[in-house]
Amino acid sequence: MRHYWEIYKEFFRTSFAQATSFRVNFVLLFLMDNISYLIAIGGVSFIFQHVSTLGSWNKDQLLFFISFMLVMDNLHMTLISENFWIFGDDLKQGKLDFVFLKPIHPIFIIFFASVRAGSFFSFPLAWGLLIYHGLALDLSFFQWSLVPVFIILGLTLQIVIEIIISTSMFWLIDGMGVNFLRMQFQQLARWPDFVFKKMFRRIFTFFIPILLIGSAPVNMLFGNDLLFYIPMYGLALSILFFVMLRLWKFAEKHYESASS
Amino acid sequence: MKGNLAKWLKTIEITFSKHTAYKLNFVLLVLAPFLVFFFIKFNLWSALYEGNNTPEINGYDLKEMIQYHLWILIIGLIGTGHISFDLASDIRLGRISSYLIYPFNFWEFHTASFVSFQFLQIIISGITLLLVSSFGLVDLPPLEVFLIGVPYIIFVSLFWFSMQFLTGILGFWLEQTWMLRVLFSITVGFLSGAVIPLDFFPDYLIDLIEYSPFPYMNFYPTKIFMGEEVNLLKGFLIISFWLVIVNLIIRWVWNKGIRMYTGAGI
Repeated sequence: MRHYWEIYKEFFRTSFAQATSFRVNFVLLFLMDNISYLIAIGGVSFIFQHVSTLGSWNKDQLLFFISFMLVMDNLHMTLISENFWIFGDDLKQGKLDFVFLKPIHPIFIIFFASVRAGSFFSFPLAWGLLIYHGLALDLSFFQWSLVPVFIILGLTLQIVIEIIISTSMFWLIDGMGVNFLRMQFQQLARWPDFVFKKMFRRIFTFFIPILLIGSAPVNMLFGNDLLFYIPMYGLALSILFFVMLRLWKFAEKHYESASS
Repeated sequence: MKGNLAKWLKTIEITFSKHTAYKLNFVLLVLAPFLVFFFIKFNLWSALYEGNNTPEINGYDLKEMIQYHLWILIIGLIGTGHISFDLASDIRLGRISSYLIYPFNFWEFHTASFVSFQFLQIIISGITLLLVSSFGLVDLPPLEVFLIGVPYIIFVSLFWFSMQFLTGILGFWLEQTWMLRVLFSITVGFLSGAVIPLDFFPDYLIDLIEYSPFPYMNFYPTKIFMGEEVNLLKGFLIISFWLVIVNLIIRWVWNKGIRMYTGAGI
């Protein structure tokens, strides 16, 4: 574990050094992230000028949920997002030979090597929005202390689901479409589960549990349906983690390159 | 002239087969975002109407709201569906060198590719429209509305393509240009009424964007197809103005960029 942590620190350092040499990219990423956060919040605020609730939630609760997802999105963009795109390209070009030979799990090298340093600086706005909307809800000290834990849990589930989806690239000529599919699932996860009609809610909770990514942690934080969300979340995470490892092992066998 | 036309037609034909060669990739890349976008909006607005127990929100009943978003889906496929992935990488990886020698230049090649993509998108949006209208989800407008609306969206798509081209050729200076493309997409999505109708926006914001191209890219054509009266000439003039401006910038950027471009063997 310590060995992995030391390697990750090096990944982080290298990515930052690389990112700072392209300053315009840095600024563009910052702009892109922050504008998209403001649009997400602005859109909901405009709708709530004309309605008072969405499902059982009021405006403050929904904006807290959206901010929660934005923080998760910020961490995802910073820590992992770029790796899915690099993976698609590397797979297509058969560049993974050395990755499979190294004495570290390939999933770690493939999905955690690149950190998008530019997105790191959007962190204050994302957290600022979460804190602002959390204060509007008057969250208790206990609830605030659970927020980082639930963000990490949600992010973990999202990463596991996305790695499972990405393994399909081993069988495809181009991974771009799969990456777009992955992004579409992210879009679905950005809304609370009760928004979706019964059948779709079941599919995206029990079969492809993307609705659990944000809805489960926020509902647990609000103290809603704890008897459903806690076991469901634990079960989904364990099963999917197991599926991810098995599927990856199976997919690796389909890897081809000029020298492999 | 005739020779050049043949090159255009051949390029359109080749890129059309390229687009359709990897069908799954095409579906995931082009169609899925629009479908998921609509799927979310359908569920979200249904939940909003049901939860608030109201037949009307800001002048729209649920059926009108669903129709609005279906038209956004159909219009978006043609107007704002094209993605210029290859432009910047052509420059960054030096593939542009070939176009400097070919008798068919870089702009011609990418524009021909865009035209072939548009043929495909027109077919797809036509099928989508037939499907949703056969389920009674949208009311088909009279023929004259199509005769005005379809050319208008194609005109909008020229502006969209020009913006994509502009962000792509900034690859002469930038390591990555996808952020600009995404930034432009999310701004257009929001300010053109693709996310929520512009009627929901506060007045100051509507005044602020009145002379920008955004409201005329989705909101205006949607209103045309929904049979509402809009000042089409204004939309056409504003898009034309921005189209000219963007193309002048493209010309300037291209001339500057090509002068500083260095490629292997040049």
